[in-house]
Amino acid sequence: MSIQIKEVSKTFGSFQALKNINLDIQTGELVALLGPSGSGKTSLLRIIAGLEEADNGVILFGNEEMTHIRTTERKVGFVFQHYALFKHMTVFDNVAYGLKVRSKRERPSKKDIKRKVTELLSLVKLESFADRYPSQLSGGQRQRVALARALAVEPKVLLLDEPFGALDAKVRKELRRWLRRLHDEFHITSIFVTHDQEEALDVADRIVVMNEGRIEQIGSPEEVYEQPNSPFVYDFLGNVNVFHGRLENGKWRNGDQSDAEQQALAYVRPHDLVIEREKPTEDAVQARVMHVHAVGRTVHIELKEEGAERFLEAELPKEQYRELDLQTGETVFIRPNQLKVFIPADYSI
Amino acid sequence: MAGHISLQYGSKQVDKKTAREPLLVRILLITVALAFLFLFLLLPLAAIFIKAFEQGIGLYIASITDPDAVSAIKLTLLVVVLTVPLNALFGITAAWAITKFEFKGKSLLVTLIDLPFAISPVIAGLVFVLLFSTHGLFGDFLFQHDIKILFAVPGIVLATLFVTFPFVARELIPLMQAQGSAEEEASLTLGANGWKTFWLVTLPNIKWGLLYGVILCNARAVGEFGAVSVVSGHIRGLTNTMPLHIEILYNEYQFSAAFAVASLMSILAIVTLILKNIVEWKSGQHG
Repeated sequence: MSIQIKEVSKTFGSFQALKNINLDIQTGELVALLGPSGSGKTSLLRIIAGLEEADNGVILFGNEEMTHIRTTERKVGFVFQHYALFKHMTVFDNVAYGLKVRSKRERPSKKDIKRKVTELLSLVKLESFADRYPSQLSGGQRQRVALARALAVEPKVLLLDEPFGALDAKVRKELRRWLRRLHDEFHITSIFVTHDQEEALDVADRIVVMNEGRIEQIGSPEEVYEQPNSPFVYDFLGNVNVFHGRLENGKWRNGDQSDAEQQALAYVRPHDLVIEREKPTEDAVQARVMHVHAVGRTVHIELKEEGAERFLEAELPKEQYRELDLQTGETVFIRPNQLKVFIPADYSI
Repeated sequence: MAGHISLQYGSKQVDKKTAREPLLVRILLITVALAFLFLFLLLPLAAIFIKAFEQGIGLYIASITDPDAVSAIKLTLLVVVLTVPLNALFGITAAWAITKFEFKGKSLLVTLIDLPFAISPVIAGLVFVLLFSTHGLFGDFLFQHDIKILFAVPGIVLATLFVTFPFVARELIPLMQAQGSAEEEASLTLGANGWKTFWLVTLPNIKWGLLYGVILCNARAVGEFGAVSVVSGHIRGLTNTMPLHIEILYNEYQFSAAFAVASLMSILAIVTLILKNIVEWKSGQHG
């Protein structure tokens, strides 16, 4: 089931949570809504589910208009950040709930419900936990129950609100891989909200980056990571170094911002910074090595730009680091391998 | 999540070793507490029963089977049967509205719910007199249609309703606030309508808090004196509740009879207390 969101806006009191959102989601896609808190991503998800109503705009599922259809009839699966399991029901009853509350005509027989629930519990690998209560499960297990419960009603759309936000790092990674596999198997159109860029890059087919109630960029993980269309997206997706400089005949020069007309900012990912001992060019940036983290395959190096009170971050493969034999406190030259220049709209940056 | 907010002291156990006071201080504190309890609670309670049986069990039974006493007991039970369910219903609706929706005048509603706690029961009674007496606001209308509210059962029920209505709502509002709406929302997305969601999700989640509120409401409905005294008219065998009946007996120097009926109310209070503790214990278990 494809989803179309047209010109959706939403305000809460005086706070405008969503500003004129347009978004098309294809059938079977797994889309991440990525943004900092307050960016409107959860509001958008809740509007798609019908848990909030948009002030204006239209929501379509396929060709069907859903804007004023109640949540109960939208046939969406919703997974909440804090699971929202029914605490007074067993795992079995939680998963069976969506089937049991159907009107007599549509309700499957007891036997069918049992078969379906058992099937779903084995899908989430919790067959032996059917008689437990949610309070007797770990966070990861609870979220799997919540997923099974959402899938029981065979939703046309699966909506997940920070599904792994409350879990610890290891379980989170495991569960998101598992969600990816689940999606590859069943192809339910899915939207999940996250503020974790790594999670979005890891799982989603497409990422919708949101900021202050607007969509900043829509694209595949590679696109938004490699070709961010705004400083915000650059900054939000991964670590970044910002160099202040100016544009000269289409070329960027570091430092010297005397001519405000040509002021420009260059964004460079830490792994695109090259550290050299010899001065490569006349205007190369000089920096002092402040700290070295050498744990893992890549070495993180913290530097301080000479003449400016700015810290820089570089990442080197371990072999290269050994070759360079960097010492804390020594002065080196850095050169960006790849950079992206943005002209600030606002000179006060 | 704990079933009842004010119970949480029970679950927060301080490490006994680190929080240990010197022996002398502990003995002193416990003695003071026990002495206070004995003087102000146990002694009066014992006095009620001693006084009630002072002139023999025969008089005790005669006092509580006296037609006026029986009618007072019946009236009190009738008042309870009418007010407690109504206030439970009101409490649930008010708590639901306050915790699940945003609307204008919400804080005013919360304040209004507390009103019966804030004003004296006597004034609460007088309000009904002002409204329903012959010279009151609805006096003419009631007289023309021959409806008796004041100095009759409806007046007593109304006054009791007024005095007891905060109990359930006050109990449920913090509980439902703490629980949030996520489970209800989950239920809606799973296709359950509002009614089913209430019965299958909301009610089981609030049942212990609700029961606790109902018990408190019940205790107050049985014992209410001030407001009921103003609106009842003290007609023996007709509009006397148990507390009013006790007052009349006492004023007529029938001490043993007064204390006999009082002992019945005390037993009711003790049963309520035990029930309350069971509910607290249960809600702690399920929390």
